[in-house]
Amino acid sequence: MAKYDVVVIGGGSTGTAVARDCAMRGLKILLLERDDIASATTGACAGMISSGLKYMDEPNIVDMCSDEVVNFKRIARHVMEKNPIITPLLEMSDISSGGNFAEEYSKRAETRDVPPVLFLTPEDSLKIEPTLNPDLIASIYFEEYFISPFALCMLQALDAKQHGADIKTYCEVTDILTKKGSITGVQYFNRITDKMESAKTRAIVNAAGPWAHKIAALAGAKLELRLNKGAHVILDRRVVNVGVIAKAIEGRMIYLFPHENTVLLGTTALDTWEDPDTLVASQDEIEYLLKSMEWVVPSIRDARIIRTMEGVRPLIPTWKIPEGDVTRGYEVIDHEPEGVSGLISFAGGKLVMCRHMAEAATDLVCKNFGIEAECRTHIEPLPGNSDDVDILALAKEYGVSQHTVERMRARRGTEIVMILELTRDHPEWKTTICTCEPVIEAELRYAIRATFPQTLNDLRRRIRLGTGPCQGTFCTFKAATILAEELELSGADFQLEIVDFLAERWKGKRQSIRGEQIAQEELAQGIYACVGNLDQALERLDYDLKPWEEVL
Amino acid sequence: MDLEVDIVVIGGGMAGLVAGIRATEEGMKTVLLRKGQSATAYSSGAIDVIGYLPGGTMPLGSPVEGLQGIASMYPLHPYGLLGFTDAEPDTVSKTIVEKVRMAVSWLKATLLGSNIPLFGDIDSNLDAVTVLGTVKPTCMIQETMWPGSLMLDADGVALFAGVRGLPVFNPRMAAQVFLEHQISNRLLPRKAGHHVLDLAPFGNNYNISSIEIARYLDNEDNLSVLAKKLKKQVERIGATHIALPPVLGFNRARENQLALQDLTGAHVFELLSFPPSVPGLRLQRGLETAFVNGGGTLLVGHHAKMESLKSNIVKKVTAVGPRRNFKISTKAVVLATGKFIGGGITGTENGIRESVFDLMTVSESFRNATSTTPQKLTNTIALSHKGHPLFGSGLSVDPQFRPITGEEVHAAENLYAAGSVLAGYNYPAEKSGLGVAIVTGYMASRNAVDYVKGVSA
Ligand SMILES: Cc1cc2nc3c(=O)[nH]c(=O)nc-3n(C[C@H](O)[C@H](O)[C@H](O)COP(=O)(O)OP(=O)(O)OC[C@H]3O[C@@H](n4cnc5c(N)ncnc54)[C@H](O)[C@@H]3O)c2cc1C
Ligand SMILES: Cc1cc2nc3c(=O)[nH]c(=O)nc-3n(C[C@H](O)[C@H](O)[C@H](O)COP(=O)(O)OP(=O)(O)OC[C@H]3O[C@@H](n4cnc5c(N)ncnc54)[C@H](O)[C@@H]3O)c2cc1C
Repeated sequence: MAKYDVVVIGGGSTGTAVARDCAMRGLKILLLERDDIASATTGACAGMISSGLKYMDEPNIVDMCSDEVVNFKRIARHVMEKNPIITPLLEMSDISSGGNFAEEYSKRAETRDVPPVLFLTPEDSLKIEPTLNPDLIASIYFEEYFISPFALCMLQALDAKQHGADIKTYCEVTDILTKKGSITGVQYFNRITDKMESAKTRAIVNAAGPWAHKIAALAGAKLELRLNKGAHVILDRRVVNVGVIAKAIEGRMIYLFPHENTVLLGTTALDTWEDPDTLVASQDEIEYLLKSMEWVVPSIRDARIIRTMEGVRPLIPTWKIPEGDVTRGYEVIDHEPEGVSGLISFAGGKLVMCRHMAEAATDLVCKNFGIEAECRTHIEPLPGNSDDVDILALAKEYGVSQHTVERMRARRGTEIVMILELTRDHPEWKTTICTCEPVIEAELRYAIRATFPQTLNDLRRRIRLGTGPCQGTFCTFKAATILAEELELSGADFQLEIVDFLAERWKGKRQSIRGEQIAQEELAQGIYACVGNLDQALERLDYDLKPWEEVL
Repeated sequence: MDLEVDIVVIGGGMAGLVAGIRATEEGMKTVLLRKGQSATAYSSGAIDVIGYLPGGTMPLGSPVEGLQGIASMYPLHPYGLLGFTDAEPDTVSKTIVEKVRMAVSWLKATLLGSNIPLFGDIDSNLDAVTVLGTVKPTCMIQETMWPGSLMLDADGVALFAGVRGLPVFNPRMAAQVFLEHQISNRLLPRKAGHHVLDLAPFGNNYNISSIEIARYLDNEDNLSVLAKKLKKQVERIGATHIALPPVLGFNRARENQLALQDLTGAHVFELLSFPPSVPGLRLQRGLETAFVNGGGTLLVGHHAKMESLKSNIVKKVTAVGPRRNFKISTKAVVLATGKFIGGGITGTENGIRESVFDLMTVSESFRNATSTTPQKLTNTIALSHKGHPLFGSGLSVDPQFRPITGEEVHAAENLYAAGSVLAGYNYPAEKSGLGVAIVTGYMASRNAVDYVKGVSA
């Protein structure tokens, strides 16, 4: 049986960061993720990595985040972008309660390479963002960094792998083995081989996000979380050019952020006790967000709503206060005092803190093991960040459009050369498979070979396949043939792959379906049901109902 | 500018074009407005009449069988409505079948001399093969899409041949899916091979579309290259049938098919594909040509604009075009604006609306849907044989195909509706899209013509 120093449970931002840090410090690591990398909370987050707006009352956290931005700029600038943000004020009371925001933000602006907060006149505000409500009396302008959550997790996982870690996706931990109060191993169900498997380990880092309390329970340990649902509405990219922050109907702050090729409108915050896998955004959440943003961006309802997206925040359990007042910090919990030695869990935290959280947990692991090893995760670049990329030159050299190369660069940095090289032997792989994003066949092939996806959904997370306005209508079947060829799937599994991907896309499309998106869906039904006849395939193909489909 | 006509057809997909062609055949002065693209042009070009009963999972052996089922179980289905005019209950089913037969045979006859002759009739469904390798029941296909004896031939060998750089069709996966399906259902053939051809139409070797290849093959000189490459593969695996993506041409598809058969010695056919679909475009163009040749006036890029209905008769329709608007005086109107793709029906958070006259809409089960949010008309499962009721919503009509209002009376005595703007059938699940469009277009037109003749007399 395989033997590890540490088993990391969970492949979100936290788990992948922990695996990377531990592996870089020379520990033998197994990361187990029951689904895919960044498939849960992390995949639903906005990717903003520096805001002070929400936790200006916690200066030490603002400091930490500010430092982390600087670290990310060092190790992962190729998957980051900087976006201007405007907070329009329609009345004086629209200034957020954290009145010292400007001061706190500006204090740390220089280290992050952003200008201090500016106050803009209505004229200047409208020049920057013409869609704003012309009745605004002023606006606050600042800049924030964003990171692609999928890319970050994937790169952390790949880097951990390069440092010797084993990364296993589709492996769900079902039991934790202990002997005399000490961790000895884990048992997990491998959904790829369809078998129960197990591994020996000296320690476990529980980075299972909103499921962390369940993992702790497997070892007989106790962990309390305050689970809080957040939903986004995803709009077509043309809505706004800059981020907009506004006060929602009950006074919370909500935002409209450019995100990759789309715009995110979010988020809601609802305490939840449901199984996170079954959650979808409700009509009330969608209308709450639209109504709240409508005051400052009156044309918001004319925008094309692509879909909704939701996740569950694993907050530190503080009760009897609004969600917004719960600390945005994190806790690393050593369960040793309760009599479970070798188990470390997280509560709270954010994407922006994932590296910091990993460092703290790995320090603790090393201390428990009596090892001295220095953290280098903030110094060593993540794969693809070693150099600048000359988009124009590459586009010309390989005969691929600049836009395509630029989008590819935003995912893979310098590694795109390896993708483009594939087109020398296979010029036909310059064919665009997903036109919304866009993604060419060479990138699909490369992602399949180099980043261990099992499904089209995994490919979506890696290369943004099917995430544009058409939501996979035109690329699903094309990408499925490529995946099937590379993974040597049977004809039945190939069809199942299409149906599974459409099911996942539908989960997000369905709740907000309206306007052009209905015509888009009619096209999808026309293609896959009317012509493809795959609607008749469910029983024949052993289709498993998805968790959110079972709830009627 | 003003026009004076007998009939205005709003919408230029299958339903509108059938209505328009029929009206001109009856001597009506007809103008047809087409705003933009139609679902008809996006279709695979195979003409479904009925492949599954609503919610059913057994492919129907024939449309006749399906129509009989609809006659007894779904009287409000557009096909069911065809039975309403007859008094005798035991003749309902027969009436429906005969009306459908009439409309479908008429279409076949209309396209007989065109470059897209059709194959099939309502007495049996055909097994059509798609670019995915899946098989679906359909009623009629263009001759170039007919697989011939492929599924009857115990010694048959199918060659799935794709084109390098054409992403819509992967011959290896298609062959695998097809063969798995045939073998597990104990069907023929038992052998299939695949190959990717280096065709490089117009010198391109990536990002190739079916349309590009079809244009390439519309030039006779380019066919021999394809024939030679195919022949080599036919000989390699001993193929008796060649399955190609639908690329045989816009104008010369049938000639090309026959020529390729001659040159390769194998039966050649086109698979059903997805938009942009060459056979769908062929169908759209073929029908438009028939309409114009019959004397109809076609205004492409013009959309009909109306105030909501105030009186019981529609007398004028405004056609809004890119350069000019027309005021058209008319005696009757056929509304064939399609569903969400065509734009006849739209949905917002406030409800499902009809886009030209703001007529009452209903759900698939005929509940008023004018203020129903679209999400409420969907199922949690994306793709299932139950479909989504949303795509069965639209207009409710009387047995004469006149839209009715909430009070169950027709909205206007000279306003008829046809095609997917109608409610009560779920074409993606039933496989009934173009069939309903043909039959309801035919009947709505006939009723409109009768009305015009009546008021003119
Ligand atoms: C709507 C929303 C917006 C947000 N926006 C931001 C933002 O802009 N910036 C920011 O910094 N933070 C943001 N956050 C917070 C941030 O997303 C989370 O704090 C962070 O992603 C949590 O990551 P995680 O790795 O701890 O959890 P997860 O991403 O949930 O990862 C846990 C993983 O554990 C796996 N797992 C569970 N059980 C098992 C098992 N038995 N065996 C194996 N694996 C298991 C799960 O499949 C999952 O992949 C947002 C959160 C939400 C909900
Ligand atoms: C991808 C796909 C594949 C399909 N494949 C098949 C198939 O293989 N077999 C099959 O039988 N069915 C198929 N269907 C279904 C079939 O295409 C439709 O059911 C059928 O075409 C509907 O015809 P229609 O004339 O009612 O509507 P449409 O073809 O949509 O035509 C509506 C027309 O109205 C016009 N219009 C709308 N509003 C106005 C206005 N205000 N003024 C003027 N014009 C207006 C539009 O521009 C359009 O020309 C498919 C559908 C899709 C989406």
